[in-house]
Amino acid sequence: MGTGLVPLGGPMQAFGAWLNGTWLHDFATHYPWVWPTMETIHFLALGLLVGTIGVLDLRLLGAAKRLPLAPLQQLVPWGVAAFVVNLVTGVVFLAGAPYQYIYNFAFQMKVLFMLAAGVNILVFYGGGVARRTFAVAAGDAVPMAGRIAGAVSLFVWIGVMYWGRMLTFFRPPWVVPPH
Amino acid sequence: MMDFLVRLEQTGFGTWVREAPTLWAYPTVLFLHTVGLGFLVGINVAIDLRLLGVARKLPLAPFERLFPIMWAGFWINALSGAALILADATTKLTNPVFYVKMLFVMLGVVNMGWLKRRLFRDPASLESWPATPQARFVAVTSLVIWIGATTAGRLMGYLGPKSGLD
Repeated sequence: MGTGLVPLGGPMQAFGAWLNGTWLHDFATHYPWVWPTMETIHFLALGLLVGTIGVLDLRLLGAAKRLPLAPLQQLVPWGVAAFVVNLVTGVVFLAGAPYQYIYNFAFQMKVLFMLAAGVNILVFYGGGVARRTFAVAAGDAVPMAGRIAGAVSLFVWIGVMYWGRMLTFFRPPWVVPPH
Repeated sequence: MMDFLVRLEQTGFGTWVREAPTLWAYPTVLFLHTVGLGFLVGINVAIDLRLLGVARKLPLAPFERLFPIMWAGFWINALSGAALILADATTKLTNPVFYVKMLFVMLGVVNMGWLKRRLFRDPASLESWPATPQARFVAVTSLVIWIGATTAGRLMGYLGPKSGLD
């Protein structure tokens, strides 16, 4: 009867009930091709996110040092686009089976890890770390604050993948799988 | 043939991966398979996009240092994939989609070898813009192959025989 960190009966249950009545819920559950298609897109964008933001993180940590930081910034919009794709496909899953996710400890952790990634990005860009980091030339090491941001980013995104994969194993037993 | 697949599934390791009531068995193997995908396909796609003109001021040559990370991703996935197959041999090895995926992965590895041995051995044409026809061909081929491999991997859970394992 696990519900993870979210108690039954609160506003989240009402939110789930509302989602169950949306057209997106019907779209996600009515056609057998929707779920696998969304999953495939979710995994492809996962690769793009790791390939762009992950490569930046690795450079911050000292890998492939001959990569200059300034042009590496141009990969970031691709990472943001990949994240948006996964947010959209993720919302389709959520609308399709709200309670499978709302009362799922792994999903709750996945959301917390994504929030942590957001905080890391805010500190990196808002705290002036990005400005100093992207001024680093090819061959030079990144300032410590930038290296920490890279390590945190790599850790939380791998964590997001971990909790995403754990979802089905933390599914509340009273939830009927949507597919 | 089926006897052989049943025997694979009944090995101690296959049974452990499938049935051990711990997150360290099947769930963790699945997680590793996803991380390996991220680094192998992700970095390769980043190189492909750069070859096709994204972030054009970014020099390509330093990406050679990331090949060991891509190969680490490949080996993580070869091993975790073997464990997933062992755990569910009667279902996965009788699924035609699995062989489609293996074909894509083999082509992907061949393409990566090309990328490394042909393009990265010739820095002048590697960095030239517009990209050489060969560079464009390798990049587009790589994108198609990895999209195919990832799609086939995902669809194995939906097409063909089912075992109830996610």
